[in-house]
Amino acid sequence: MRISRSLVAASLIVFASSAAVAQDRPLVVAVNYPLQYFAERLLSDDADVVFPVPRDVDPSFWRPSIADISMIQSADLILLNGAGFATWIDRVSLPRSKVVNTSAAIEDQFIITESITHSHGDGGEHSHEGLASYTWLDPILAIAQAEAIASAIITKGVAPADDVNAQLETLIADLQALDAKAAVALDGLQDTTILTTHPRYQYFARRYDLSLASLQWEAGAMPTDADIADLETLVDQTGAQILLWEAAPPAAAIDVATSLGLQSIVFAPLAHGIEGRAFEDMLDDMLFAMSKAGADD
Amino acid sequence: MNALYLAFAYLRYHWARSLVLTLVAALILFVPVATQILLSTSERALIARGNATPLLLGSRGSQLDLMMAALYFSDERPEPVPMREVEAIWDSGLGIPIPVHAAFSSSGFRIVGTSLDYFDFRALDLSEGRGLSILGDAVIGATVASTLGKGVGDALVSSPENLFDLDGVYPLEMPIVGVLAPTNSPDDDAIFVDLKTAWVIQGIGHGHEDVVTAAQVAAGSEAVSNAAVVQYQRITEDNIESFHFHGSQDNFPTSAVIVVPNDTRAGTILKGRYLDGENPTQLIEPASVIQGLVDRIFRIKSLLDVVTTIIAIAAFAAIGLAVFLSYRLRAKEIATAVKLGAKRGMVLRLLSAETFTLLSLSTMIAAIGAAIVARNAEAWVGWLLSLGA
Repeated sequence: MRISRSLVAASLIVFASSAAVAQDRPLVVAVNYPLQYFAERLLSDDADVVFPVPRDVDPSFWRPSIADISMIQSADLILLNGAGFATWIDRVSLPRSKVVNTSAAIEDQFIITESITHSHGDGGEHSHEGLASYTWLDPILAIAQAEAIASAIITKGVAPADDVNAQLETLIADLQALDAKAAVALDGLQDTTILTTHPRYQYFARRYDLSLASLQWEAGAMPTDADIADLETLVDQTGAQILLWEAAPPAAAIDVATSLGLQSIVFAPLAHGIEGRAFEDMLDDMLFAMSKAGADD
Repeated sequence: MNALYLAFAYLRYHWARSLVLTLVAALILFVPVATQILLSTSERALIARGNATPLLLGSRGSQLDLMMAALYFSDERPEPVPMREVEAIWDSGLGIPIPVHAAFSSSGFRIVGTSLDYFDFRALDLSEGRGLSILGDAVIGATVASTLGKGVGDALVSSPENLFDLDGVYPLEMPIVGVLAPTNSPDDDAIFVDLKTAWVIQGIGHGHEDVVTAAQVAAGSEAVSNAAVVQYQRITEDNIESFHFHGSQDNFPTSAVIVVPNDTRAGTILKGRYLDGENPTQLIEPASVIQGLVDRIFRIKSLLDVVTTIIAIAAFAAIGLAVFLSYRLRAKEIATAVKLGAKRGMVLRLLSAETFTLLSLSTMIAAIGAAIVARNAEAWVGWLLSLGA
């Protein structure tokens, strides 16, 4: 009886102290998986890094609840991707002193996409310039974003500068290695057009001098007849032999692509991560698949 | 002891005269003390707001107008500064810039568009509801809540800036999501919104508006708090996704920017950057601007002190005369006391005890009055200052 009481008391003390420690840990919120991954690598165990978007929601178009916003506002650091990624930030109140635009230093390298013209009410027509948002698919831009995160972590005192700089060095080395690997793996694909089910890969294509033609298909869904007709037209126009899928489609969709002479590769743009896989490993897998497809041509 | 007892009995018997003398003496003591308390509290309150705001960035022009608009949310409209100035301070890493956009109003209270950093900077706490979260949310000051009788769940509509608004920018309905605890500062009289909401009111940001029309208002299906408003836009769950902003945010306006430098050195470096008279923006120290203003205002205080002293001397002379005349009227009574065997010293003691009792009661009343004023001075001064704004 006495022993069991002592055990309960001891476990209560341990629980209470661990809860206190958990509360004391800084909180970092990221708007996509790559930023979460970079922050986790840089912070080791010095802070909790949260990417609050549910797995089945596109982080670009997430609508946070009031509870989500409250959690984000309470963070010590809020990591934004910039380049027009995560439009919800324009409609939410965030403490500017905690917000870090990780792509501020690479704005001159943004890719401008199509301009959308529309009008409201009595106002005249006006245009919006779109920006390609998936900057992290270019490892060199990803390095710049990681550096921005490291700088913010140090400035805000979230983790010791020496530790963060040491981690940053390793992360940069990994991303540089990935870049070198990609350059080799994609060598030979420069002369062929690659089709994509969604325009997500602009920075990746620019980095490795690839020629892309994009469709506007819904990720992971069976393409409609109109979609397939568009694909046929695009294949005829470009002579493409590789199709990059944003998310794994139904088997029937792969069959359709195969019937048109296309090799299907699922190339997740990594706005969401995959449980248990590191950022570089996932990109490495996709590079391998592309390299293999290139060799098969 | 006997003299005091007899004096008190005499004063009680002539209670009306005693009461008048006591109240007059109490007033003479109370007025200068209360004036002093209120003036020094006003001075402190005015300077405190300036001291609590290290630096203020705004368009070059009247420093006083800039300070009054950004710190006291007055009707002054300084030329706006572009947001690139805010970003320049962020980029410098020398301090925290907090934009203050105070160009619009609702129901007679100023709408202040700012960032969440403002609430931390001013240490504002909520007494009800939650803080700003999404576009369109409003958090109101304590005075706004009590004056308008509004709270969480109600809504406010921004006042139309131009009745003949040809741009099609309608006033905005803003749901109240929080009420601030009273601070006895201009923040009590403000309606806080996110800076982006202020831009929506300005027409820089807009969506596929859910406009409430005059017909709906007339039909009673919608209501407005401001009779001048006939149409307004509303940010709803259905249309919020369509709200967007045009152009580069660097060019968007704000009335002023509160700058909180990291340290004295950073403050000095920042001030140095805005010394050039050709620069369209200026960086001012609100404390020194307000000190100059307060010095000017409080020059009148010395005049007031002289007037109070003259009135006090005249009033005390009047009381002295009244006491002297009462002694003359009581000459027969004093003579009777002497005939009964009272010595001159005893008579003097009796008269002194009466005067002492009167003055003690007056001092006590004046002290109670002064204590009440001192206790409520901050609230009353806050209210008086807000009347001025």
